[in-house]
Amino acid sequence: MSSCFLDEETFCQCCQLFLQHSHSLCDGWSWEQVKGSEEGYLRKTALGTGRTRCNQDQQGTSSDQHQERTFSLSFHNDDDDEDDGAVCCIQEENSSSSVVQYEYHILYSCSYQTPVLYFRASTLEGRSLCLEEVWDSVHPNYRQRLQHRPWDTITQQEHPLLGQSFFVLHPCRTEEFMKPVLKAALEEHRQVNYIVTWLSVVGPVVGLDVPLSYCTQVPEPPHTPSSSPQPPSSSPQPPSSSPQPPSSSPQPPSSSPQPPSSSPQPPSSSPQPPSSSPQPPALGTKPG
Amino acid sequence: MSDNAESPTETQKDEPSTPQQPTEDSGTADDKKKIDVLLKAVGDTPIMKTKKWSVEKGRTVQSLSQFISRFLKMEANEQLFIYVNQSFSPSPDQEVGVLFECFGSDGKLVLHYCKSQAWG
Repeated sequence: MSSCFLDEETFCQCCQLFLQHSHSLCDGWSWEQVKGSEEGYLRKTALGTGRTRCNQDQQGTSSDQHQERTFSLSFHNDDDDEDDGAVCCIQEENSSSSVVQYEYHILYSCSYQTPVLYFRASTLEGRSLCLEEVWDSVHPNYRQRLQHRPWDTITQQEHPLLGQSFFVLHPCRTEEFMKPVLKAALEEHRQVNYIVTWLSVVGPVVGLDVPLSYCTQVPEPPHTPSSSPQPPSSSPQPPSSSPQPPSSSPQPPSSSPQPPSSSPQPPSSSPQPPSSSPQPPALGTKPG
Repeated sequence: MSDNAESPTETQKDEPSTPQQPTEDSGTADDKKKIDVLLKAVGDTPIMKTKKWSVEKGRTVQSLSQFISRFLKMEANEQLFIYVNQSFSPSPDQEVGVLFECFGSDGKLVLHYCKSQAWG
């Protein structure tokens, strides 16, 4: 199974389709082209919430380790831990929930052949959050997994195109959560927009929710000049109201041979929206 | 509505007097405040013995995710992902009732779930 990865051209196409819907929703995404290059990335700024240190000097940075900070420490027995048999959970007791300014970038990684989410986070006063604060700001749904191995999850790296320090959500295991989706789509002759699916998984970890309408309104990447964009929708609507677009988009060429007809998987139940109504826009799969 | 992730209830032995928990579908889904959810495993994720649950509309995806994670006795290094329409992972704060309105069919909402280490 090699259909879990994304080539750069398809990345760009998926991004453009993603952008069309973003514009219709005024969702705030933009495409930033790197000057003098064909490379680009998706960008969005948004206000969210996070846990930041309170009563701290505004000049505090990640090097500001000398300030008094109180942490609560708890250890859990973790039989599966390869390192030391204990998981350390750190929660800063002097932190409080506050408004955080986020700036998200979606870049393409040639080495991983996946998108990668970079982001910056700062208080409204302009102070960048430190790494521990970012960890502490992760959505509770993902907190336990993050605290198990925070250094494997979110760290600071140099932005590949801008050269500035950004936080990054590690992409090494992107395949693990993309594979089931792509595999199912392939077997059922459906297609997905890789960026929509991928962002819906990784975005909420760091405060970036993807509206439901992206799921039904963003088509697959075309390999013809353009696909007809879907009617704009500002709120999630039952797929029955979506018109059936031309669904005969050919499978994009890839190095992996496509089975002429996938092993039929008679659906035991309808994974699709109401079967009596037209299916949502055919979304493009990306075979590897 | 409360979205406490209570410990899972056994099939056929469910106490119907605890409305906060997902309860196994007893055959009818006439309660306006609940929707039927069908949980399907993908990949190597263990299959839940009870797949069909009656869930309060106001319950969040996160709450459901916690419930499934505990039911499956997942490890700390594993993350559960839920997919709707087999292509999209709804926000953890999303209410299942809204998902049902958008993606429900034949009176139920089919959700696929998958566990993975996700990052690294």
